[in-house]
Amino acid sequence: MHAQTIDHVALLPLYLAAAAAVAALFAGRFAGAVAMIGLAASAAAAVWVGFGPTRETFAVGQWHSFVADDAAMGAAALFASLTVLVAAVSGRKTPEYCFLLAVSAAGGIALAGSRDLVTLIVALETLTVPLYVLVARPGREGAEAGVTFLIASVTASATALMGAALLYAASGTVHFAGLAEGLGGAPAGLVAAGVALVLGGLAFKLAAVPLHAWAPPVLERAPLPVAAYLASASKLGGAVAVIWVVHFALAQEAGLAAGIVLSVLAVGSIAVGNVAALVQRRTVALLAWSGIAHAGYVLAPLAALATAAGRSDAEAASAAAFAYAVFFVLLEAGAFASLTAVRGEDGDGGAVADLGGLWRSAPGRAAVLLVAVVGLAGLPPALAGTFAKVAVLEWLAGSAVWLAVVVAAGAVVGLGYYLPLARTVLLGRGPAAAKGRFPVAVLAIGAVLVAISLAPQAVLEFTALSR
Amino acid sequence: MLVACVALPLVGAALTWWLRRGEVGVGAAALALIAAAVLPLGRGDGWWHEVDLAWAPAIRLDFALSVDGVSWPLVVLTALLGLLCCVHNARSGGSPTLTALLLAVQGASTAVFLADNLVLFFIAFEAVLLPMWAVVHRYGIDETRRHAAAKFALFTIAGSLLMATGLFVAAADAGTADLGAIIAGGGVSEGVSLLVFALLALGFAVKAPLWPLHSWLPDAHTAAPTVGSVLLAGVLLKLGTYGLIRVAGGIAPDGAADAAPVLAVLAAAGIVVASLVCLGQGELKRLIAYSSVGHMGFVVLAFATGTEAGVRAALFANLAHGLITPLLFFLAGAVKERTRTGRLAELGGLRVAAPALAGLLGFASLASLGLPGLAGFWGEAFTVYAAAERGGAWFALAAVAAVGAFLTAAYLLRMLKHVSHGAPTAAVAGIGGLSVGEAAVWAPLVAATLALGLAPGPVLDLFATGVL
Repeated sequence: MHAQTIDHVALLPLYLAAAAAVAALFAGRFAGAVAMIGLAASAAAAVWVGFGPTRETFAVGQWHSFVADDAAMGAAALFASLTVLVAAVSGRKTPEYCFLLAVSAAGGIALAGSRDLVTLIVALETLTVPLYVLVARPGREGAEAGVTFLIASVTASATALMGAALLYAASGTVHFAGLAEGLGGAPAGLVAAGVALVLGGLAFKLAAVPLHAWAPPVLERAPLPVAAYLASASKLGGAVAVIWVVHFALAQEAGLAAGIVLSVLAVGSIAVGNVAALVQRRTVALLAWSGIAHAGYVLAPLAALATAAGRSDAEAASAAAFAYAVFFVLLEAGAFASLTAVRGEDGDGGAVADLGGLWRSAPGRAAVLLVAVVGLAGLPPALAGTFAKVAVLEWLAGSAVWLAVVVAAGAVVGLGYYLPLARTVLLGRGPAAAKGRFPVAVLAIGAVLVAISLAPQAVLEFTALSR
Repeated sequence: MLVACVALPLVGAALTWWLRRGEVGVGAAALALIAAAVLPLGRGDGWWHEVDLAWAPAIRLDFALSVDGVSWPLVVLTALLGLLCCVHNARSGGSPTLTALLLAVQGASTAVFLADNLVLFFIAFEAVLLPMWAVVHRYGIDETRRHAAAKFALFTIAGSLLMATGLFVAAADAGTADLGAIIAGGGVSEGVSLLVFALLALGFAVKAPLWPLHSWLPDAHTAAPTVGSVLLAGVLLKLGTYGLIRVAGGIAPDGAADAAPVLAVLAAAGIVVASLVCLGQGELKRLIAYSSVGHMGFVVLAFATGTEAGVRAALFANLAHGLITPLLFFLAGAVKERTRTGRLAELGGLRVAAPALAGLLGFASLASLGLPGLAGFWGEAFTVYAAAERGGAWFALAAVAAVGAFLTAAYLLRMLKHVSHGAPTAAVAGIGGLSVGEAAVWAPLVAATLALGLAPGPVLDLFATGVL
């Protein structure tokens, strides 16, 4: 018997994030700074590893449980950077807060590299569990948010685990590479049930219909920085989990079943999210419901797998979904970060009407918020959102035109609530007592949004998944 | 120069907004017009000039611009109208922000006309939406402006997303998003041709607008400020027809042939319906807006015939409409500004109160109704000719279009009767006459209308060299 060799370089970003979490716990009043520095180092390490050759570790036979390829490291860098942003807009917080945030980021980084169902689900739980504590503000409302999130999350995890068990029963393995080969000969009913349960459970994190109902009340009642985290990094976690499972495990042998499940999720999310967002009067609730619609857009390219003419270019579906998810969480992060900056980290999102006059009182933050909102609507000049829409529509147009039309219809409805929001920020009258906090963080996310608008290839390059 | 045509208005927009000075915008627009005017220098056949820079290869997006005999007149028209609007706005003391928005519309529209890459075309098409929405929403002159702006935005985005789907189907089928290459290759394969054309035509029909998808236009025109109406009629509607002729017709010729009868019937119906609505219309700007629907019906009908004469007639009528209707909107804006009403019933006697203004209004109306010797004539005459030439049921459509042209004359003369003739009403009496500044702004449009009407040959030859 010999010990397994472990490629520690591949795990470097994860080590750094975990170290940042532990260091933050004991750093006292410097906890925030320590966590941010550690996570920034983790992001830098992820970028460095990503530019190097693809690394694989934790081998079982020819399969690996952890892979550090371009896509994984890109996602890892994004998890770490988004967490730094959230920490930056959190203000002065206790060491415990910073510890939990960094642990969640470490979960995200582990998730990005995971290549088997067990690692994936454990990583996703690591991402989620710290949030049970973070979402709960003192008081009755906060407790309600925490309990809602806890119950919904546990249910979803159990569902995903049940699905994983069924898939294991069908194929005899939990490794993605093994599932990709082993599902072909398995009983179709078993596979379909497993696929439906796994995807349904994972879609919870993405807040896709039918497991979406937790998102608006939880985001509305959680502290704004935590809402920012839920809407960006945590959503990215859900998206990555679904895309990884579909791309690496299900696309070849169970593409049809996965496609059907995902079409239901996608169409349902687009319809419910958009229609519900139309009637929202509170900013965070509006962004939360529209986020559900965006989850639908993320899933739509994968849903087209069911009807895609040739399975050979299934990689393009995952790439489109991943690219959309990355653009989307960056825009969402921009929106929530600037919102936090104007409402204060302890405030709530307030009503949309409260943002009236923001352009005059805090032009810089209002500009970032506008870019993010217009980008979420998918319109130039916020080209980041346009590129995301182009990526999705381009793949759908070639594989499932009806889904492209659904996405287009959703975007039209979306304009119905994004334009009034943008109008209120720009032209609305009101005091808009802007707090004007966190100039560096808002400037940074604003610069990132501008950069990916001018050079989308930077995102599209690492989101081009390979198998 | 190609890049300058697009970049100058956009940079001008940013600077105007930043410095809050309208003169900067005028300067940028003037430079853009010069850049557009010198494009024919050193031209060859087919594409005159091309620029191609990779932007995002993963989504087939290249920054590819090119110009030919079809797009150049529209680029010049856009640059001209952009300049006139900026001058008008600066002169009448309008907000610099409005100038910036107008320049943004101009820059994005120019990019649409020049785009040689389908994805870039879509992005530029979308980029027009927000500034135009803001123009109507923020600077509208009517209490209905919010509603009108929202309607405009929703119609446009629905159209442009359907169009995008069509574009991407075409790009997936052809394996490239290079517009010139797809056209040169004879368009997309036959299997998807009708689907591509249907999606594209739906999108462009909203923008053009083709009856029955036109209902956003009268609202937007009525609510928009004068310069907004001018750009809406002179530039935005052209995006739809240009897209239909160059893009939809170019990349899906088979689908275009299959769908031609449907388009033609809708276009002919649009001509007659718009004319009848105009006959009963009591508001000046709304009347001109509906007349646009009729004129665009001619353009689409001419395109639908699919013959060479028909396509050239479509392009010509398109260009003529882009000169005459903005002139009408400038005049209507001037009348409304002076009299504070646009209701025909309250107007009258303009001939007595402001003879020069009434004369110009008469000139523009006659040009619009297609008086021989003015720009409006050739496009409509050739349209009827091209349709009649195809014989059979097309002959009936030609007859319908001819009746529509007759009705056009009827409602424009009715409008003139109400506005210019009779005794001056309370609103009209004592208004100021034509100022030198206004005359200077309108003179290029009048001159171009006359020039195109008297010598249509050079422009028609120019169209013949285009890549279609």
